[in-house]
Amino acid sequence: MKQSLGRQSGVQNVDVSLLDGKVDVTPKEDGQIDPAQLLKATYDSGVSVAELDMIARGKIVKDSSGNLALQVERNQSFVLAQNELLKGLEPLADSPTLVTVRGQLFKKSTGKKKKDASAPLKLLILEVQKKE
Amino acid sequence: MNTKRVALLVLLGSMVVVPVAQGQIKHIEMRVEGMT
Repeated sequence: MKQSLGRQSGVQNVDVSLLDGKVDVTPKEDGQIDPAQLLKATYDSGVSVAELDMIARGKIVKDSSGNLALQVERNQSFVLAQNELLKGLEPLADSPTLVTVRGQLFKKSTGKKKKDASAPLKLLILEVQKKE
Repeated sequence: MNTKRVALLVLLGSMVVVPVAQGQIKHIEMRVEGMT
């Protein structure tokens, strides 16, 4: 799995902790990393992902459907899931302010109902670390 | 003429000093199951 993840575009380093089942991925400074691609590569290597968290910096933008999203690159953005922390960021929508957030992009559902795998991942903000 | 040159220098200088604001994924952490 480590090798498979290390081959993904934009990945600088992969640290695997067998003891607690944690995988740390460090992106390249100037590369573009795709978390959905990492999820797929992990599943393809026969390992099930329970949770994926990330720290990202970007701008809060409103997409064509009126949803708030975190835009990290010109062509990469993550729709933000509604919560209290997002309400605090709403005034920054479409402003040049950069925010650094820690958020959860994926969590394995515990219910019997299976989620639609093709549905886009939503970023649930867990912590706002910086506004600049 | 001098004023124009000074204005141009100030403009170019500010372009160099102000860092390019950009977004980035800084870190990704996964919790996995079934790893041996």
